[in-house]
Amino acid sequence: MIARNGQNPDALRRLGVVVGGSLSRGLDVRLDGSADASLEDVAVGSFVTIVGRRQRYFAVVTDLELRAVDDSVRHFPPGGSTYNGAGDFVADVMAGTLAYGQLSVMPSMTAPLNSEAGIEPSTSAEQAKTIPEHFAPVYAASQADIDAVFSAQDADAFALGSPQGMEAASVRLDLNNLASRSVGVFGASGSGKTFLARMLLAGLVKEGEAVSLVFDMESEYGWQGQDNDRRRQVKGLKQLFPSRVVTFTLDEESSRRRGVTPDGVVRIGYDEIEPADIEVLRDLLNLSEVAAATAWNLERHYGSGDWLRSFLALSGAEVGELANEMGVNLAALQTLHRRLSAWSRFGFLADKGEGRGSAGGIIENLQHGNHVVLEFGQYGRNTAAYVLVSNLLTRRIHETWVRRKELADGGQGEEPRPLVIFIEEAHKFLTPEVASQTIFGSIARELRKYNVTLMIVDQRPSGIDSEVMSQLGTRLSCALNDDRDMNAVLMGARDASQLRGVLSRLDSKQQALVFGHAVPMPVVVRPRDYDESFYADMTIPGAPAAATAGMTAVATLPETEAQRMQREIDELFPPE
Amino acid sequence: MTDTKAGQRVGEVTVSHSQRIEAQCYELHHAPPLGALLRVGSPPVYAVVREIWHEPLDPSRPLAPRGMSLESEDEIYAANPQLSAMLTTRFAGTVVGYRAGLTVQFGLPAQPPNLHSFVFTCDPDETTAFANDLGWLRLFLADGSPAGDSALAGFLRQSAAEMIDRPAFLLRAGRTLATELSRDPQRLQAILREMTP
Repeated sequence: MIARNGQNPDALRRLGVVVGGSLSRGLDVRLDGSADASLEDVAVGSFVTIVGRRQRYFAVVTDLELRAVDDSVRHFPPGGSTYNGAGDFVADVMAGTLAYGQLSVMPSMTAPLNSEAGIEPSTSAEQAKTIPEHFAPVYAASQADIDAVFSAQDADAFALGSPQGMEAASVRLDLNNLASRSVGVFGASGSGKTFLARMLLAGLVKEGEAVSLVFDMESEYGWQGQDNDRRRQVKGLKQLFPSRVVTFTLDEESSRRRGVTPDGVVRIGYDEIEPADIEVLRDLLNLSEVAAATAWNLERHYGSGDWLRSFLALSGAEVGELANEMGVNLAALQTLHRRLSAWSRFGFLADKGEGRGSAGGIIENLQHGNHVVLEFGQYGRNTAAYVLVSNLLTRRIHETWVRRKELADGGQGEEPRPLVIFIEEAHKFLTPEVASQTIFGSIARELRKYNVTLMIVDQRPSGIDSEVMSQLGTRLSCALNDDRDMNAVLMGARDASQLRGVLSRLDSKQQALVFGHAVPMPVVVRPRDYDESFYADMTIPGAPAAATAGMTAVATLPETEAQRMQREIDELFPPE
Repeated sequence: MTDTKAGQRVGEVTVSHSQRIEAQCYELHHAPPLGALLRVGSPPVYAVVREIWHEPLDPSRPLAPRGMSLESEDEIYAANPQLSAMLTTRFAGTVVGYRAGLTVQFGLPAQPPNLHSFVFTCDPDETTAFANDLGWLRLFLADGSPAGDSALAGFLRQSAAEMIDRPAFLLRAGRTLATELSRDPQRLQAILREMTP
C-alpha cells in the first residue's frame, strides 16, 4: 500500500494500472473492475495520478473504451441466458476480468516521487518527458494533486474555476503569463464564453500588469452585462473597478438610454480612414476587388486625409465624371460610392477627428494604466462599423506602442505597458483572405514583440485565419457544435487528437477546455460563478474613484443622479 | 450411491500417475462425490474426484440384466447377494497438490502416490484451504473435458455451501476462474452456470 503523509491511504481511489501506450499517443490504463473503479465514475477530461517508480505523473483522461480479452464475449455475452438463474452471476464474474474498462490518458506533467513520503505532492511539477512503466498504479487525482499542478506557482493567483469533477479544487492562472501571448476564447452561442471572457478581463484588471482595450460590440463588458439564463444583470468591469476602468462610447444615445455615463465619446474623422480600411471591409461591404482597390486611386487623386470626405460629397453625376478623369472603372467607383455613402448614418464619423486623433484619449488612458472599454451601442450590430473602428483605433494604438517600444529599446523612455486588445466576432474580419491586411493579423504574427497581444472571443473559430489561430498562446474553449470549429480550436495544439474527444464532449454550458501557454496541462474547467462572491474577490481594497486621464479633448457626459450617489457612497465607505 | 463422510477412508489406489490416480472403493456404490477433495497416501497427495464409475471386477464377465421379473432395483441385489462381490466402484482423481512438511503445496508431487495407498475424503479445513486459494486450477483445467469442468463446478459448489459469505466466495472463485479461462469465455460461462444452481 502506498502511504501518504497525513492522509488516509484509503482516501486515494485506485482506478487501475498502466498496461500500455506511448508518450506521444498517451497511455492505456486497465481499470481494476472493482466497485470503486467503474468506467461510469470516470469522465473524459478528468484527472488521474499515476505513481511510477520515480515520478508521479498527472494525466488527463481523453477516452474511455470497453475491452474484452477474447472477442467471442461480443458474440456470446453473459446474461440474457437464465439457465439456472445464474445470468447475473456470470456477468458479475466476467465484468472486470474478461471484459474490462480501459482509459486512454495523456500524461502531461510529472513531479518527483519522494520515496519517503509516498505520493506526497511535490510543488514542482514539470512537463512530462517520460512515461511510467507497465503496471504503475493509477489513482483518481486528489485535490492536493490538482493544487500541485495548477496552483503551485502562486496560491493567490487568479482562480478561474474548478477542474471537472473536483468542485473543491481550483485551477489558477498566472494572468501575466496569459497576457504575454494572444488568447482565444471560443464557444458556441450561449455556451458561456462571454462570462469566461469577462472573468478573464476582470482578473487582468485586478491582478495583471497588462492593460486591456475592449472593443465591446454588444455593450456587455463595460458597465453591466446580461445573464440570459438567469435573467439578471451582472456587473461589468466599470462597476467592479471604477478606479481602473474607463469607458468610452461610440453611441452616446445608447449609453444614455441604458442609464450609463461613459467617461468619453469617440469620434472618428473621415480624414483618419485609409484605403487599407476599405480593403479590410471588402467582404463585409460586398465590394469587388476592383471597387475596393479604387480607394487607392481616390487617395492619390484627392490626397490622403481628404479623399473620403471629398468622394462622398460628390453627386451621382460627378462620380461618373470622376471615373473618367481618373480612368477607373465606372461601375466599381459607383458601387464604392453607394456602399460608403451608407456610412453617413454612422453618428461617430465626424468631418475631422480630434486634434490628437480619435485614439488620443484611449491611448492616454492606457498609458496611465487604465483599462478601456469602448462600447459600440447601436453600431455593435453593424459588423462593418465594428471592424472599421476597431481596426482603425488599433492601428493608431499599435503605432504608438511600436514607437514607444523602439524608443525604449534605444534607451529613451520606458517600455510601454503590455496591452491586451480584446475583439469579438473575429471570424468576420480575420478570415484567411483579409487577416494579413488587418492590424490584428500583424499583432498576432509579431507575437509580443511590441508588448501588444490579442484576446479573441469568437463562436466560429473555423472562420479565422489559421495563421492567426496558430499564434494563440492560450485557448479556452467552451462547447462548440461544429466539427470544423473544434478542429480549428485544436489546430497546432500538442496532443490535438486526444483533446478532440474531450472538446467534443464538453457540457453545453459552463465547461471549458483550457490549454496552451498559461496552463501547465490541458484542463476541463467549470468556471466559477460570476456572482457576489466573484465580485468580492475582485474588490480592490481602498481603491480611489476613477481618475481618468487625458479626458480634456473628448466630451465628458454628465454623471447621472444614481451614479453620483453611488460614487459618494463609495467614497465615504470604501468597499473592503 | 451413498454419501461418504468427511475424513472417511473410502478406498485404495489402483492406478497412479503424477497427474492422475484411480482408486477402487471398499464398498460398491460408496464413492466420494464428483468434485470431492481426496487425501491420498502418506505423505498426503491431494486430488479432486473427476470421474466415478461402476463395473464388474472381472472384465471378461460382462453384466447381464437380472431384474426383468422383479419389482424394484433393490430386489436384484437382495436376490443375488454375490453381486456385491463381483461388482466394484472405481473413481479417478486429478492431482492438485501435496503436503510438504506442514504446508500444502499446489502442483504435482515428486512421486505419485503408491499403489494401494489409502484414499480419504478431506476434512472441512482442508477443503476450505483449497477452496480459498485456487492456485491449483490450472492443473485441473488442463484436460479441458466437459466432465472435468462439471467436477470442478461441483467442488466449488460444495465449498461455497460451507462458506459464511457464499456470494462473495462464488464471485472471488469465479473471477479466478475467469483469469484462467480468459481465452474461452464460453467454457467459463458453462462452469459458472453450474456453480450456482
